[in-house]
Amino acid sequence: MSGSKRIEVTSNLCRDCQACALACSLHHEGECNLSLARLLVSKDMARYEFQITICQQCDSPDCIAACPTTAMWRDERGVVVLLEDECIQCGACADRCPYHAILHNEAQDRYLKCDLCTGREGGPLCVEVCPVEALTLSEATIEVET
Amino acid sequence: MAFGWVGKILDVDLTTRRIGTRDTMPYARDYLGGRALASRIAWDEIPAGIDAYDPENRVIIATGPLTGTLAPTSGRTIMAALSPRTYPLPWYTHSTLGGWFGAELKYAGFDAIVIHGRADSPLYLEVRDGEARLISATGLWGLGARETQLVLKERMGQQAQVLTIGPAGENLVRFATVQHSEENAAGHSGFGAVWGSKNLKAVVVRGTGGVSVANPDALLREVLQAGKFRISPRADILGTRRKKERRPICTQACTFNCFVSRYGRAADGRLVPSQCVGQAWISEGGLEITEYTGGGVEVPLCKNFGPSKDVQLHQLCNGLGLDLWFRLVMQPWLIRCKQLGINEIRGYLIEPEEVTWFESFTYQLARREGLGKIFAEDLVRAMDELEGELPEELIRLGRELEFDFGFPAHREGRLLDGEPLPFWVISAMMHAGTSRDPTIGTHESSLLHAEFFLADEGLARRQFRRLSEKVWGYPDAFEPTFENKAPVAIWSQSQHMLIDSLPLCDFAFPQLVRPMESRAEWEATEDILGDLDLGRRLFLAVTGVDLSWEDLMHVAERAFTLERAMLARAGRSRKMEEALAPHFELPCRSDGTLIDKAGFSRLLDEYYSASGWDLEFGWPQAHLLKSLGLEEVIPELDECRREARNGDLKA
Repeated sequence: MSGSKRIEVTSNLCRDCQACALACSLHHEGECNLSLARLLVSKDMARYEFQITICQQCDSPDCIAACPTTAMWRDERGVVVLLEDECIQCGACADRCPYHAILHNEAQDRYLKCDLCTGREGGPLCVEVCPVEALTLSEATIEVET
Repeated sequence: MAFGWVGKILDVDLTTRRIGTRDTMPYARDYLGGRALASRIAWDEIPAGIDAYDPENRVIIATGPLTGTLAPTSGRTIMAALSPRTYPLPWYTHSTLGGWFGAELKYAGFDAIVIHGRADSPLYLEVRDGEARLISATGLWGLGARETQLVLKERMGQQAQVLTIGPAGENLVRFATVQHSEENAAGHSGFGAVWGSKNLKAVVVRGTGGVSVANPDALLREVLQAGKFRISPRADILGTRRKKERRPICTQACTFNCFVSRYGRAADGRLVPSQCVGQAWISEGGLEITEYTGGGVEVPLCKNFGPSKDVQLHQLCNGLGLDLWFRLVMQPWLIRCKQLGINEIRGYLIEPEEVTWFESFTYQLARREGLGKIFAEDLVRAMDELEGELPEELIRLGRELEFDFGFPAHREGRLLDGEPLPFWVISAMMHAGTSRDPTIGTHESSLLHAEFFLADEGLARRQFRRLSEKVWGYPDAFEPTFENKAPVAIWSQSQHMLIDSLPLCDFAFPQLVRPMESRAEWEATEDILGDLDLGRRLFLAVTGVDLSWEDLMHVAERAFTLERAMLARAGRSRKMEEALAPHFELPCRSDGTLIDKAGFSRLLDEYYSASGWDLEFGWPQAHLLKSLGLEEVIPELDECRREARNGDLKA
């Protein structure tokens, strides 16, 4: 099975509460830190528009192809994951991502990406906390012969 | 390692351009953060008896331990200083604003900023990840709040957050705001003018750090649980909720669909969020709440100019940095002038129902030109200026519209809102006790529940008798009488202080009444008490500090008492508070109830006694100060009493 789940984004529903990013960093890092979240909510004040940037779990991920190590791979659930222990911080994945969804924390020189909250019983936390359904989990299952 | 607090307070002296830091934690135990923390710094550092524009006045910008976390509605910021708006004297007061600034400040490593002095030319403060510097703002001076933010975001990045004044603050308009984002503002207390007097245009902050959380799982659990409360229950119960309406939020970490928010649309097609009074500005007929007749006071309908014009005006005011409330008092006052045949004031024509005139008047206010020279002093001071030139009815009307020490009437049961007995009695006590409109922070702790009584009095009385017994230990807290209301007023004030110190939003906390989905559910419910403990549990989850409700209330009472002591040493006393009495001789808009001067004086006796204040001046007594660990305040207040009595003897 491949590309079975991803987080769909409807940016024009976003109200900039940042609950998704705060919950994300809280879950993954134990602190509320927008720079350590696996997604980014950005605002264009001039236009009063919001954009949510998060991994789209591509079917043929450029990030995996770009990674010179074995830090990036697709796990058994079809989720593209980044193993920080094996990452050499070269940034090739982030450069190649068409969604700019692999985020770099400069202070800690770490690359971060969404793993759909691997192991969390309720699924991705950002989807659960978003009050306006700007983030939804796409359940459309695409069976891939292997 | 501290959780919740990030540990440092930034100290900025604009005169010498020196910047330093101090530790937060020595303040945190007794004052938590936000407004309570500001009260301690202000008591220690703002000299008694100075003017709001004295360089020694402090602008205190404070977050709380929850700011920047996922705790619902916690992204708030508190500002405090001596206010140029309070009437008749400059008093220490506070404003709170939502938005995204406070969180960014903490991510940059600071819990608060204390600014004093006066720069010799316009400056702005730039804060970036633990570092701060002052930069010339000569090129920004004169720009509107929105333009200033766009310029500074261009320099610092879109994620930077900005507080700024507009031209109104630069020109020392007494109701000038400090603006942030689209409509967030420290709006009511005239702090924009304090910034202007200091030559401080803006503070811009960018931080890439975070806020450590003691118990992430507990915080997530609480938030997911509270997330079920996403719609104001009252709106459903009263049938006023527009179900399909998508509403904006006004602060980071707010996951609720707030009934006081809505979008408008700017001329360029952009969505424009607005809250509360801003919502009244841009809603069809939203300003008509002003109409009132009683006790010889006539307040005409305020007038909307239509959604597209009103959005434009609303944007103009936010850009100029004027408190949106001014329209709710000045427009009906000017309309009443016309009704009485007054067509000009000091040679200036008035046409308050003409949009072009009103727009021009708005510019004049911010620039102190034409009529703006008089009204930039605020309505109540304009009445002093115009007394003798205009019919006495108009002078009285202006003073009633801003009866509350220079602040617009609000939730006192007469002008603008119709809280029935006993809600306006609770409100009256709070108005007497504080230096600014207190009801803006007490919506959910008491005053908004009046709406249940207006919807079905019999049902609400049954439910609230039971609730009263549980919360205050006696049944008649919300019975329509004048007795036993001080405990509710004091509790509500303490909740307000806590909400401003943790911080949280007072449209969501405290949850005195539990969320309900429909009128049918409300009608079938006997026990309506909500989850009052939620704020405490959020504080515990974030900080790991296990305080009881009694501990938290003690913190609130300590800080409120310090605020009261600052009022005492700045010349506020019982006589001034008794001068509010005539306003409550006007009949309540919804039930016609009122109180005479002797009755109002009895209310003050009850309120002062229950607060631990003396009956002569209304000032905190030694036993109260000792119980709160404020022994050092005792001699200063004793000296104030001696001076006040000597002054009375001389008089």
